[in-house]
Amino acid sequence: MHSVVAIKQVPDTANVRINPETGTLIRDGVPAIINPYDVHALEMAVRLKERFGGKVTVITMGPPNAAEALVECVEQGADRGILISDRKFAAADTLATSYVLAHAIENIQAEEPVDLCLFGLQAIDGDTAQVGPGVATRLGLPLITYAVKVESFDPEARQAVVHRTTERGIEVLQTTLPALLTVEKEIAEVERAPLANIINAAGYIPEVWSASEPVPFEPGKIGIKGSPTIVGKAYTPPPKEPGEQVNLAEKPAADAAAYALQKIGAAGVIDFLEIAPATNGDSS
Amino acid sequence: MSGKFTFDAIVVGAGPAGTSAAITMARQGLKVILVERGRFAGAKNFFGGVLYTHALSDVLPDYWDRKPPFERPVTEQGYWMLSPDSVMRMMHKSEHYKQEPAEAYTALRATFDAWYAKQAVDVGALVITKTAVLDCIKDDKGRVIGVSTDRPDGDIYAPVVIIAEGVNNLLTQKLGLIETDLPPRFVALSVKQYIGLPAKEVEARFGLSGKKEGVAIDIFGDATMGLPGTAFIYTDKAGISIGVGLLLEEFVSHNLKPYQVLERFKNHPVVKPYLADGEPLEYGAHLIPEMGYDRMPQLFADGVMLAGDSAGMVDALHREGTNLAMTAGRMAAETALEAHRVGDFSAGFLRQYRKELEQSFVLKDLKQYRRMTDFLDSTPHFMGTYVNFLNDAALRYFTAHGMPKRDMEKEIVGLLRGRRSFFGIAQDMLKLLRGMRG
Amino acid sequence: MTDNNTAPKIWVFIEQEEGQAHPVSWELLGAANLLAEDLENSVVEGVLLGDNVAHVAEEAYRYGAKKVYLIDDPVLKHYRNHPYGLGISKLVQKYSPEIFLIGATHLGRDLGSTIATRVGTGLTADCTQLAIDPKQKILAATRPTFSSNLMATILCKKMRPQMATVRPRVLTMPEPLADAAGELVREPLDVSEDEVPVKLNRFIPGEEQLNIEYADVIVAGGRGMGGPDGFKLLEELADALGGVVGASRPVVDAGWIPYGHQVGQTGKTVRPKLYIAAGISGAVQHHVGMSGSDFILAINTDPNAPIFQLADLGIVGDLYQVIPELTKQVKAAKGGEVRPEFSESTGGNGGDSPHTPRPPEMSDPAKGGE
Repeated sequence: MHSVVAIKQVPDTANVRINPETGTLIRDGVPAIINPYDVHALEMAVRLKERFGGKVTVITMGPPNAAEALVECVEQGADRGILISDRKFAAADTLATSYVLAHAIENIQAEEPVDLCLFGLQAIDGDTAQVGPGVATRLGLPLITYAVKVESFDPEARQAVVHRTTERGIEVLQTTLPALLTVEKEIAEVERAPLANIINAAGYIPEVWSASEPVPFEPGKIGIKGSPTIVGKAYTPPPKEPGEQVNLAEKPAADAAAYALQKIGAAGVIDFLEIAPATNGDSS
Repeated sequence: MSGKFTFDAIVVGAGPAGTSAAITMARQGLKVILVERGRFAGAKNFFGGVLYTHALSDVLPDYWDRKPPFERPVTEQGYWMLSPDSVMRMMHKSEHYKQEPAEAYTALRATFDAWYAKQAVDVGALVITKTAVLDCIKDDKGRVIGVSTDRPDGDIYAPVVIIAEGVNNLLTQKLGLIETDLPPRFVALSVKQYIGLPAKEVEARFGLSGKKEGVAIDIFGDATMGLPGTAFIYTDKAGISIGVGLLLEEFVSHNLKPYQVLERFKNHPVVKPYLADGEPLEYGAHLIPEMGYDRMPQLFADGVMLAGDSAGMVDALHREGTNLAMTAGRMAAETALEAHRVGDFSAGFLRQYRKELEQSFVLKDLKQYRRMTDFLDSTPHFMGTYVNFLNDAALRYFTAHGMPKRDMEKEIVGLLRGRRSFFGIAQDMLKLLRGMRG
Repeated sequence: MTDNNTAPKIWVFIEQEEGQAHPVSWELLGAANLLAEDLENSVVEGVLLGDNVAHVAEEAYRYGAKKVYLIDDPVLKHYRNHPYGLGISKLVQKYSPEIFLIGATHLGRDLGSTIATRVGTGLTADCTQLAIDPKQKILAATRPTFSSNLMATILCKKMRPQMATVRPRVLTMPEPLADAAGELVREPLDVSEDEVPVKLNRFIPGEEQLNIEYADVIVAGGRGMGGPDGFKLLEELADALGGVVGASRPVVDAGWIPYGHQVGQTGKTVRPKLYIAAGISGAVQHHVGMSGSDFILAINTDPNAPIFQLADLGIVGDLYQVIPELTKQVKAAKGGEVRPEFSESTGGNGGDSPHTPRPPEMSDPAKGGE
């Protein structure tokens, strides 16, 4: 079986710094990581490969150094990595991004039929969760978002049963294959890759696709031209003033707790704390 | 034998010793695998520090064409002897230092080691990272025939293994080449900060005329509160590397926190201005073996050799470690190549590795300065006493205008006698001589 | 037949499950009507899909929809991406709304991008603010990015509809009108069950449905808890406050509590109204997961713990003393009891609720006009 996993290199948001004057991200020296959700998506693909044989292709739309992320994917168990990189793709919003990835997958599909597309639920820099569904829609693939488990998978019968998490519980969905899943981290726990993978990946050089070679992308659908949304304004929310501190060495716990609840009530975040118990014995 | 990973040689650790070994063997056509536990070569390494090109050139004669990522050439170097409020500087600058490539360069390990490991890949070695070697694999006769890693199905086989695992020498201990883990007396903890400063600022503060000049200063005295240890300031391209190291035992017995010792040093009135407005960008600590010649582990056994920090190959007195490591790595590799030629990987054959080291500066220097740690141990306030005296004497000397010079001379002698009796001084000098002459 | 009415339409997707509307739909109608005030001539309308759900439209009128487009069909009984996506896209293509708002629930996030991609327009997800740009008269949708480190206002200048999703409880719930009437427009689905590739096999209701991402109150524990047992105390407090228990990564890794409770970069990003961090140091990786909380109370024995930089109020001390006290007092407040140990003094202090009792020993935390 053949699965395609889309990954994104994102700044490690734990280390993000914002330029206070321009409001833009300071990207120098910020380590890039593979979007954590995508790592789990890839792990799911590798598990399916271990079970059913076949291959895992990883694609990413990104700058040239996203190639190192693809090498890491090969270490994790992918067979082929494709970096889709071109200045013309820059500043793409989710619509343009889903076009590029969908078009790439169509071409990969033409070479080798694809049974499953796996995307991370969302990227931790944008947090929109839009690209996966956008690609599914373009490719006409059944879409299951918030996938947390693959209960069964039958590449022969072209059927799979997938658990999808919702606010109230789990939907157990049956889908035809090929399909596209966007996954939560629970879908597969990342295991330490065997030595063979690391050795294989050691010399691996990912393929690079530009906006025109080996596959032409429509200029009007990529990058800024293909993006209906633009950022009008970006700003850093003013840093929070550190709040007060109450020390139990000075105040007994009961008082500290009361004070805390008073502050919480004042902030209006808990309804029943805003309504005070009756004074002078009256019931409220 | 199918499905097993087999190589001609395995090198554990992609630091200066390991990578030098891998490069030397790969260049001669051996199938080498270099196994590094960090995310990339250099991720787990840290030093001041200064690299010496003689050792690099012995491993990679064309290293200069490969554009090594050095920081600045060392065109001025020497010592600062710090008392609590003064400094006596002995710095040497020379036109001779300006040759290119220079004798020594300041460098940053994460960048340098990563570049160095790439050279190993370039000459044909297989370098894998994020993989730790947990143990050596032995045959029924106890000979090392491979290593087991922390990855599933992670055993690798080779007739010879070169261990360059660094100061945390767990494999060395597991193999029984050294009896115990380093006690706090025989290991130093060094903490360092890389402080970002625009290149022009670095040059202005240290009197450098451009990026082809740089300074390396080793600092004694108040930097380590008079305790045995050293501090340093090295200029980098766009920053300053500043650090201080003490024997671990000193941290423990005096209840000192490494970060505090460094901050105190950075705030010394003489040091502080050099760092003004700099941005602390990186902070780290590293252990440095100070075991000395007499406590080094065995350097070889059947199928295995040891090089670098894991073997205690550090000459702190001369600020040397990476060059000993590179040289030893190369020598171990050359022995491995010979061993392959004759098909003998026994300890008996690998002994010639040690012989090579003995004939080189590596073991000669370690042997000569074998008593240094003992000396520092038995004269813990050596630095404090003499450095402070020197500074006080200089102060007395330079402010004695209008005073009869004989009185000034008497005072200076008094300053020393007040600290140390003649007998004590004589003792110290003798001990120092012994420490230096081996 | 295309609609010829040129008044700009502000559409709100009315999410329903088993005939019950999701409250976010009403919050969106409220916001839509506010937008309508700034967009001349515009009209607020709802889009409703389901099986036998016409009654939900009645509610929609009360919350401000002037018209509801209804596609009622057995195929739509349970949400599935294919029929909902197709059905709504056809409606959009037929009626050309100016703005289309969808709740950022699991369903909304599954559906939104599908519609936007089919129609070929822009969608801004998880907005915290919606407004009409005064000059361009277009939707200005503001959202946090980089885990709340940066706020961005997004515009969709050319393509229509301008789409946006908003998470539940971000917008205010409007007051429903006692009577309201609106127009119901029924539209056919034209998708048969056979054409739908995904079937609902069964539903497993969440026993302890965490949904920490949507929780309004989270009481989280870190290494300072000392072990798994303390989490029971946190649970009690969480229950009393109507919230859920959260955790930092080290305690999940240590096995003290399951991964579903993990807040942080490698766990979930949460935006509760109240976040209580007990025994959590506040490492950046945790911080990015909860910095969007409205009010943060931190309890830690280390006065220099980074969490105190983030917290609105910090208590330096043993959480095992504070948490039970909090629980006790919260339960008392819920019960409407007067807390006996405190005096009824109502010293005024800025924004405090005037009746909040204060313990006698505590001086007014007057900080001069805060």
